[in-house]
Amino acid sequence: MSRRWKAIGAFAIAGVVAAIAVTAAAAHSSSKHSTTFSGTLNIMGFGTNGDDVAKNRFAIAQKAVAPAKVNAPNGGFNEQQFLTDIASKQVPDLVYWDRSYVGTYAAKGALMPLDSCIKSDKIDTSQYRQAALQSVTYNGHIYGIPEFFDVRTLIVDTHVADTSGVTGKMLNTANPTVLKQAALKMYQHSGSQVTRIGFDPKLPEFFPLWAKAFGANILSKDGLHPDLNSPQAIAALTYANSLIQAQGGYNAFLAFRNTWDFFGSDNQVAKNQVGAWPMEEWYYNVLASSSPNVNVTAIPFRSKTGDPINYSTGSAWSIPKGAKNAAAACQWMKTMTNASTWETVANIRKAAYAKAGQYWTGLFTANSKADAAINKPTSGEPKKWASIINTVEAAEKYSFALPASPASAQFNTAWTNAVNRVLQGQQSPTQALNQAQKEAVAAIKQATKK
Amino acid sequence: MATAAVATRRPGPGDRARRWASGFRERDTWWAYAFLVPWAFGFVVFTAGAMVWGAIISFTNYSVVAPSHSVGLANYRQIASDPYALLSLKNSFEMTAIYVPFEMGLALLFASMLARVTRFDGFFRTVYYLPVMTPTVAIGGMYLLMFNGPYGLVDQFLGYLHIPEPYWLTDPNWIKPGIAAMLVWQVGGNTVLYLAAIKNVPQQLYEAASIDGASAWRRFKDVTLPMISPTLFFTFVILTVYGLQVFDQIYTAFYNPSNAKISSDTSLMYVIYLFQQAFDYLHMGFASAMAWLLFGIIMVITAFQILVSKRFVYYEGEQR
Amino acid sequence: MTSVASEGRAGAPTPEIPPVALGPDESRWRRRLPLLKQLPFIVLLAAFSVLFIYPFLWLVSASLKTRGTVFDNKLIPHPFAHDVFHNYAVIWSAAPFLRWFANSMYITLLAAVLVTFASALTAFAFAYFRFPLRNFLFGCVLATMMLPTVVTMIPVYLIWHHVGLSSSQIPLWAPNLFGSAFYIFLQRQFFMGIPRTYFEAARMDGDNYFTMFWRIAVPIARPALIVTFLFEFKAKWNDLMTPLIYLHGYHQYTIPLGLYDLLGVYSPSAGGSGDYEWLMAAFVLATLPLLIIFAFGQRYFVRGITLQGYKG
Repeated sequence: MSRRWKAIGAFAIAGVVAAIAVTAAAAHSSSKHSTTFSGTLNIMGFGTNGDDVAKNRFAIAQKAVAPAKVNAPNGGFNEQQFLTDIASKQVPDLVYWDRSYVGTYAAKGALMPLDSCIKSDKIDTSQYRQAALQSVTYNGHIYGIPEFFDVRTLIVDTHVADTSGVTGKMLNTANPTVLKQAALKMYQHSGSQVTRIGFDPKLPEFFPLWAKAFGANILSKDGLHPDLNSPQAIAALTYANSLIQAQGGYNAFLAFRNTWDFFGSDNQVAKNQVGAWPMEEWYYNVLASSSPNVNVTAIPFRSKTGDPINYSTGSAWSIPKGAKNAAAACQWMKTMTNASTWETVANIRKAAYAKAGQYWTGLFTANSKADAAINKPTSGEPKKWASIINTVEAAEKYSFALPASPASAQFNTAWTNAVNRVLQGQQSPTQALNQAQKEAVAAIKQATKK
Repeated sequence: MATAAVATRRPGPGDRARRWASGFRERDTWWAYAFLVPWAFGFVVFTAGAMVWGAIISFTNYSVVAPSHSVGLANYRQIASDPYALLSLKNSFEMTAIYVPFEMGLALLFASMLARVTRFDGFFRTVYYLPVMTPTVAIGGMYLLMFNGPYGLVDQFLGYLHIPEPYWLTDPNWIKPGIAAMLVWQVGGNTVLYLAAIKNVPQQLYEAASIDGASAWRRFKDVTLPMISPTLFFTFVILTVYGLQVFDQIYTAFYNPSNAKISSDTSLMYVIYLFQQAFDYLHMGFASAMAWLLFGIIMVITAFQILVSKRFVYYEGEQR
Repeated sequence: MTSVASEGRAGAPTPEIPPVALGPDESRWRRRLPLLKQLPFIVLLAAFSVLFIYPFLWLVSASLKTRGTVFDNKLIPHPFAHDVFHNYAVIWSAAPFLRWFANSMYITLLAAVLVTFASALTAFAFAYFRFPLRNFLFGCVLATMMLPTVVTMIPVYLIWHHVGLSSSQIPLWAPNLFGSAFYIFLQRQFFMGIPRTYFEAARMDGDNYFTMFWRIAVPIARPALIVTFLFEFKAKWNDLMTPLIYLHGYHQYTIPLGLYDLLGVYSPSAGGSGDYEWLMAAFVLATLPLLIIFAFGQRYFVRGITLQGYKG
């Protein structure tokens, strides 16, 4: 090559290198935070042994609070450990737990209200779903930053439905009579043993969903006034229980359900052991990975008015009162739950799935901005799975959650026990819910006395 | 001490007390106390002191994370009005009433058979005792899986025999018998105990009885039973106390993290409910009251058992 | 049937082990049924023994199965898990089983050793010395034996809580520093069977009481000490309630608590993965140490139980 070209080439390379260096420097300086973090950030309930999404978000958040050290032992949230920490005044800086804990501990005065953190770190709370925020807001203040949003839709085994003469329209929870007929059409038994469940109402866990569908609000918005024995709630429990009793009775029903290979390739949908049932959306992911060729579809759960509804639960991040490193904790929460983090890890997972030939079924984050970007079918995805994502994503708009309450554990125990008593035939729905109402009222009274 | 020349005088109570008190001056005494220091410390702090503190707490609303306030008898009154407390007490009574006779009867049956067997008796004793070595968690876990309604091993076996197959885990009528069966799996411990007692019955008594023409059953009823009655009585008391406080197996089978939500009211035993109140909800005052109530009940039952025993238990060398 | 109290047995310094250590008096039972007459009992006992053994077989068989077949109740796995012992290999990494095993081992050994010697000290004091309040204090020991555990459960927890140790492994073994009523009672029987002359000889040789205890009493009472050790080992290894109260966090767990937790972790209804076959392997591994101990120390267990009954 002539010397002139060599010189131009060298110049060009130098220029590119310089440009890269400048850009890198600029990026580096722009990522330097106005506040520097220090010390250690102690986290309880979120370790480093989660799935790929958890691990990737952890890495991103860890960079965001650098140079503070992050101490996050494995193991879920342990309530007794937390109580011990509170009593001995050595609280972690950050807890990761189910949203149902927030109200109880906020009422105990054990949590730091997050208003100042939201203001100082400029957390945009409008990006979080209303229902999620409702579970973490107590007495007008936010005590938790929500993460993850369980969406409950009806999972339908289309093969079972088709061969039993059940259409999608019949699987409509807005029309209880028709639904029961559909359930009985798909139900099969051999003697007193159940061999196929037509429709599993998922009691006791989904009782709040059924109550809401029948028009009952089992807990007031401020979390202080339970209403477990309203006529609508009793009607909901009576109906849902009757579905189980009509399909073999509780004992046979549950015993059969316990035999399902829930997470395996021989799961109840693959083996056509169930017609339809309401379930959290993560199960679609299980199906897609363990038995991708099953005949399955999603139908929204509807209330008696005909509108779709979704009973939503999920996790949250909270800062205990007395946390030493609240600044880093705040930054961590913000990073973990903002849209860009979610989108980054979702893309990583989508790429991994594409390589493994697995279908994308969505990631539901409680951040509506992130959800809109993430939860779209990937190109080339079979119609079956694409329609599932779309249905689930659409259902999110209609979500409700149980409000934060000062005695949420006991409130939940009260209605859970009541439903169990009805299922086992020990009490009528009216008796059971009356008792549950008494217990819930007493528990909340005791929790708010101090 | 006193010399030989002291005037004789009948020893009175004052002398005895003085002798007792003078014991404190001996070096031996202080050595003895030195040996006893570890036990004494533990007793004062972890037993007597703990009991007293527990009683005090039972009159408060202590909950560890909040300051404590005295509430008088409110906790005890709450036990009387709390449906779950009463239910758990009833459950514990019923379960113990099934368990104790079942365990004692079975142990006695096996022990009697083992006593007559000389071949393989070591083998059988080992086999029967193995379940006693098994961790209670494993027993509870295995129960969950083997008694899982028609799909569990037990019901499949009953199915072969065309016996109706109960839903051991969910049917309120079968939960307690199932639990009793699970507990009785460890009958080997009492079997070995009764076996030793039976083997200690003097041979002559049996010979005398058979000379009198007594049948095997009468020999058992009139020789064996009275002679081992102290051991029977001992186990009767111990098993009752154990039955009323049983925790591990039932907590594992019915209250582990996976099925705590669907647990039946019928499996709620007293100590389980107490444990939940103390450590899940931190109602320490209420739980302490429950503990002291159980203590009182056990004392009453034991006293009653002792009274009854006076008629039935025969101690060697005693006048009846 | 009652214990042999042999305080102050004068003369005859025979170096025999006191008869109470031999267990039930086998010489009293001389009658032997002819083999034919024993047969029905042997058959019956064999039939019943199936009930006791079969669950173990089921457990081992389940631990060798795959996830889909783990509950098919067939005795011979078909198919066997990958590499047959796959589940046993996986459980060590699927859960912190090694950690739990180590925790259980060290806590149990520590607790058993401590309670053996603490109880021996106490039992010796009650057996050998004469001192004021002896009967009253021993009555306290007896009373403790009958005390329902539930009465002290909460206050003891609160004591540890106030010392800041309510979230550690210490409350699991530390109370054994103070002896335990049942073992004190058991060992006292043994110590009382030692002729006083042995001790007098040692005292004259210049031993102080502690050396005398250590050099004379302890070796003779070895069977009782071993019984104590083995019983406490079994009790502590299997204990679920105390770890449930005091241990938080996987790194602290003992095996029973770990297994209890795994029942939730692996249960599909709790969002777990359904890998019960690993749990079966864990159950077997948890029982194995006890079975080994039992194989070697069987006669001590039997002896310990029969001594228990002699209280009458």
